[in-house]
Amino acid sequence: MQSKLSDIELIDQVLAGNQAAYADLVKRHQRFVFTLAMRFAKGREDAEEIAQDCFIKAYRSLASFQRQSKFSTWLYSIVYTTAMTFLRKKRVDTDSIDDENTYIQVENQSSAYDVNNAENKSRSFYLNQAIEQLLPDDATIITLFYKGEQSLEEIGQALGMEANTVKVKLFRARQRLKEKLERNLKHEAKELI
Amino acid sequence: MNNIEETLWNYIDGNCTPDEQSVISTLIASDEAYRLKYQELLILNKEFETIELEEPSMAFTYNVIEAIRTEQAQVPLKAAINKRIILGIALFFVISLTGFLIYALSNMDWSGQGMPDLAAKVPVNFKVPDVSSHISKPLVEGFMFFDVVLALFLFDTYLRRKNISRQAN
Repeated sequence: MQSKLSDIELIDQVLAGNQAAYADLVKRHQRFVFTLAMRFAKGREDAEEIAQDCFIKAYRSLASFQRQSKFSTWLYSIVYTTAMTFLRKKRVDTDSIDDENTYIQVENQSSAYDVNNAENKSRSFYLNQAIEQLLPDDATIITLFYKGEQSLEEIGQALGMEANTVKVKLFRARQRLKEKLERNLKHEAKELI
Repeated sequence: MNNIEETLWNYIDGNCTPDEQSVISTLIASDEAYRLKYQELLILNKEFETIELEEPSMAFTYNVIEAIRTEQAQVPLKAAINKRIILGIALFFVISLTGFLIYALSNMDWSGQGMPDLAAKVPVNFKVPDVSSHISKPLVEGFMFFDVVLALFLFDTYLRRKNISRQAN
């Protein structure tokens, strides 16, 4: 049985003309890329479009990948720029990226339709719900840090920021996430009573 | 409080220097406020690690590869034309023109005064084919129309390529 190839080995195969190797790369990173896209798009269809677009762009520019960073870091930088472009194109109010009020609506909606199956909700459900209510930038940094196996420097590289800026943003994002989580849990407790 | 939290997050993330780390360890052991906050953040950190990744549709990989294949299938409009064929055609014209030129130059009468007498050297039976009957107005118009369509097509291809490269960047 063939041992699991590294990203770089797969890239070499793709550049040598083996397109199946790219399918392996896509399979390996699709969940994470899609999750990042979801942080921006807030809808599965749009997120799939963004994620697909990212992989196509990455394929086109694969030869120019310098290999000075991890492939995932490079890929996530593509996701970030593509998602930002998508947001601008879609005109999901460019202001909304900085305007938390826009997300209050999403927040209220999700807490409204989830009341009925409160029993089935686990703590991770509330966590994911809280992440959905965060601003895209906060949600992206949290996801990259906890699920992307990326250091602060690598996150900075992907988002085009200094590592120190990422550190500050991560701290604030965690605080906001904690607040949302607490608020959702409190709201749920009230509903149950 | 924010300061304590920030310090403790740095400690949990391992972003402290060894000196800072030992100072914070001592604080956690001795200061109740630090200890409680540390416990709280540890629980939160563990919880954040359980974030679930979203799953795209089953056909996602297939769709990506198909999109790449479709894109590649469109490219051969410029790439499928073998360069050797173009080179062969160019070579044919270069050789023909050079041949004609050499023939013309070798038949010129360089000894005479004024313009060299080329016509005098042309064989008597040589007859230039009469093509004027084939060149009609509709034919010229058709040719011009084809040229315009070709020019528009090439311009469109150029703009598309420019657009794709802009999107890729």
